[in-house]
Amino acid sequence: MTIDSKKIIELGSSLPLASNEKGIMAAFGVYVAMNYNEFYFKLVSKIINMVGDKEAVSVEQKLYDAVLACGYHTFHGARTSMHWRDFILPMIKTPEDEVHALVAFTNVFGIGYIEVEELIPGKKLVTTVRNAYDPGRYLEEYGPQPRGRCYMFNACTASYMDLVYAPKYPDGMGTFVSKEVTCRSMGDSICKFVAELVHPR
Amino acid sequence: MIPSLKFDSDNNIIEFNGVLASFHCHHYNCGLLKAIEEIPSIDGQGVIIETAAEEFFQKFKQILAGESKEISPIKALEEAEELYRFMGFGRLDLSKLTESGGIAYADSSYFVVSWLAKYGRRETPVCSFTCGYIAGILGVIFDATPYTYEVKETQCMVLRYDRCEFTVSKKANDD
Repeated sequence: MTIDSKKIIELGSSLPLASNEKGIMAAFGVYVAMNYNEFYFKLVSKIINMVGDKEAVSVEQKLYDAVLACGYHTFHGARTSMHWRDFILPMIKTPEDEVHALVAFTNVFGIGYIEVEELIPGKKLVTTVRNAYDPGRYLEEYGPQPRGRCYMFNACTASYMDLVYAPKYPDGMGTFVSKEVTCRSMGDSICKFVAELVHPR
Repeated sequence: MIPSLKFDSDNNIIEFNGVLASFHCHHYNCGLLKAIEEIPSIDGQGVIIETAAEEFFQKFKQILAGESKEISPIKALEEAEELYRFMGFGRLDLSKLTESGGIAYADSSYFVVSWLAKYGRRETPVCSFTCGYIAGILGVIFDATPYTYEVKETQCMVLRYDRCEFTVSKKANDD
């Protein structure tokens, strides 16, 4: 594996991500906005606690889908950018390198640090996050949770596999499905995500 | 003055005025908005407005507290416009607002351009987050609460208006 994650984070975080005079921030083919982590936590946790469990599961699935689209399109935009071609592509020799590069690139957006624990080419990706924002806040505000609360990292984990091993962009989204198997909000020590093929060939 | 960002590369943490913040794309922000608006059993837009008002009441208060000297309401409204622009939500004109309310405008909106890019036209205003933002910062500037002001989007560019218009009034009872 030839990926220098630190270098990718250094490069990614040095990109001029700033809003223009009209207050619009565009990067990698998407519109970007910055917001407080607490805003997202409060908004989603309020909603989850206002609705019944069945509706909460449905909302959680929609949030997963929203992040999946976010990851799929944003990371594709990143990997086709000039910066990627100039500085990151030379490190990538295999599809597995690309997965590691995409995971590393995620670590510039301020959402907590995601790492690869296991990668079985074309079949399975296991990632971990030790410092996601939401799990600690759920514990503080609501106590132990019945399900994992890291829909952000969960869907991102599937998006890496969709981009690298699924049918070519834009037709591969949803080929892999990720599950959060441990979450700090449930009392676990780390949040862990497993993305696998929906219908293995 | 808008504080600068601090990035901790070992932990993928961004601090903005000492508070954790992160960047998200329009697929996520619009997907989140749509998911919440589609829940039949709750007033989703109301929850977004309330949450944004509470958060920006608290965070804008911290930003103003970092100023070297007390600033006038006019200057504070300008700072709120700049904060909104800096965070990538668009361009607001808050200059017509006073302690009793008034009209605010936006000639550029993140949620409008984002929604159009992702889903196309819709038949209702889309800037509920901005309503909450305005309510929150006014609560700070005029020494009130996040619940003092009612902000309604009376025109939205997503409905083909030239600009978004927000009508602001004081609630009869903000308890």
